[in-house]
Amino acid sequence: MTDATAEQTSRFDDVSLRSLGTHAVLYGVAILMAIPYLYTLSRSFQPRRYLTDPQPYWIPPEITFDHYQYLLTESLFVQWTINTFVIAGGATLIILIIDSMVAFSLTRLDWPGQSLVMGVILASFMVPYYMNIVPLYTVVADLGLVNSYWGVIMPAVASPLGVFLLYQFFRDIPDEYEEAARLDGFSTFQIYYRIILPLARPILASLALFMFVYNWNAFLWPLIVLSDEAAYTLPIGLVNLYQGNITTPGLHMAVTVLASLPLFVVYLFFQGEIVRAVQIQGTGSTG
Amino acid sequence: MGLRNRFTTGENERAQQTVFGVRKETVEGIAWSLPYLAVFSVFLVWPALKGFYMSLHNWDPFVPSESEFIGLDNYIALFNDPVFWDAMKGTIYFVVLSVPLLVLIGLGLALGVNKNVKGKRVLRAIYFSPYILTVAVVTLIWAEVYSEGYGLINYYLGFVMSNPPGWLTSTSLAMPALAFMTVWWLVGFNFVIFLAARQGVPERLYEAARLDGASTWRAFKDVTLPQMRNSILFVVIIQFILQFQVFAQPFVLTSGGPRGSTDTLVYYLYRSAFSQHQYGYGAAIGYVLVMILVVIAIINFKVIGTND
Repeated sequence: MTDATAEQTSRFDDVSLRSLGTHAVLYGVAILMAIPYLYTLSRSFQPRRYLTDPQPYWIPPEITFDHYQYLLTESLFVQWTINTFVIAGGATLIILIIDSMVAFSLTRLDWPGQSLVMGVILASFMVPYYMNIVPLYTVVADLGLVNSYWGVIMPAVASPLGVFLLYQFFRDIPDEYEEAARLDGFSTFQIYYRIILPLARPILASLALFMFVYNWNAFLWPLIVLSDEAAYTLPIGLVNLYQGNITTPGLHMAVTVLASLPLFVVYLFFQGEIVRAVQIQGTGSTG
Repeated sequence: MGLRNRFTTGENERAQQTVFGVRKETVEGIAWSLPYLAVFSVFLVWPALKGFYMSLHNWDPFVPSESEFIGLDNYIALFNDPVFWDAMKGTIYFVVLSVPLLVLIGLGLALGVNKNVKGKRVLRAIYFSPYILTVAVVTLIWAEVYSEGYGLINYYLGFVMSNPPGWLTSTSLAMPALAFMTVWWLVGFNFVIFLAARQGVPERLYEAARLDGASTWRAFKDVTLPQMRNSILFVVIIQFILQFQVFAQPFVLTSGGPRGSTDTLVYYLYRSAFSQHQYGYGAAIGYVLVMILVVIAIINFKVIGTND
């Protein structure tokens, strides 16, 4: 044991030097990447006179909660947070339900035209989202959904990504489970609800988190559809605050902290699932 | 009745059940697909088709039925529109600045973390974390960092330079500043995909390479790169498509300025349709954008995909 360790040390001397370099680079990048966060956090607690000082204060000489207080009491921040929750949560819930239903139908039921439908859904991946915004806006306006939750939610729900991910997963579930359940007299709904959905729980969780974060952060589409300040989502609301108040950097920093806080909590608890959802995309889409 | 028997009769019964003369499973299949297909048709397929129709018209947003059919005039006007070409140049410049960095830094970080480093989980968390922020938050944070008067970068640059530049007010620096900010924001996505791909490469391939006396560089070139080719292709294509559609960074931070140096195609599309109410023109820009993206995807496939 000791011999082996000694031998390793001598053999890998240059390797450990290189490993030291790797560590230095990786941690250096990590520190550089974290600096904007720490700076933002620090500035969100600083009184105005320190904020306009050319010298940055990493540790505020004096702490104030004024910016946070202003946001929570004097602005529409709370309303925007509620809007964002309803939109991101609503879209995610509907996506989980209808995407799992169509994926179930395309993989576990047998009907003519299935492959054509899946082909069309796959082909729609080729449509870049932004190409559609002008005609989509006219469709949403015709349906009377401008400035409403539904006007933001429905186009988000149309995304084929969830169908594609669930399709791949459902397809690989062995037939035996289903056959055994049919023998026990399960209906189609029971097979979906009691067999397929529980087996797919990990991928449903990943999809849900990814969709929630994605829709929480959506920018261009809500900007187009939501015109009334009280209807804004957080991303739109905070840009509105920024473009309206030129001289209050403390407020801008506080609003970025508050707007990101729910996501950071979600990220802290479900890091694995979010990362996995991203990786499934990366490996899934290239076959 | 034996089990097998019961099973076959059960299946046969099921297959033969009909509703109004149609197989029950067909009815069920369509019914289960219907909610998604309805949303998909109304909010994705229909707009995609309508967009092409709109692009051939001088679209009247108030009385759409009286829109004048003008054939390819919108596309021809686009071709002769200097603002469009400036936006095109700006977009290409942004893509050329951001995509290589996004891919190379993501790959470098992934290969580094895959080695035997301490605190992998912490590093992964930090690299990935900006990706979960909305672009609106990202731009507000960097507005502070880049600020000319009290920004972080210029304060420290002040020690080595007498006159630090205005990052967002200089025509030559504004776009690189937006691209750098974008790399900070999105590089974690690529990192995570590359890390998964690297961990999927069988270790025995590296052992074989070592036995053959291959150098680290040879092992990288002959094992890592070919094994990770699919992921690299995916990331390159995705990043081209995403970065070609850059919008929020110039919209929030620079309004396309200074002097049009950060104007982009999607920003121009947005202005044409939603500020100037030229919906047909905006729709035409959208279609041109798609054609460019399809061509880029094909080129990427040709260059990376068939490089055996």
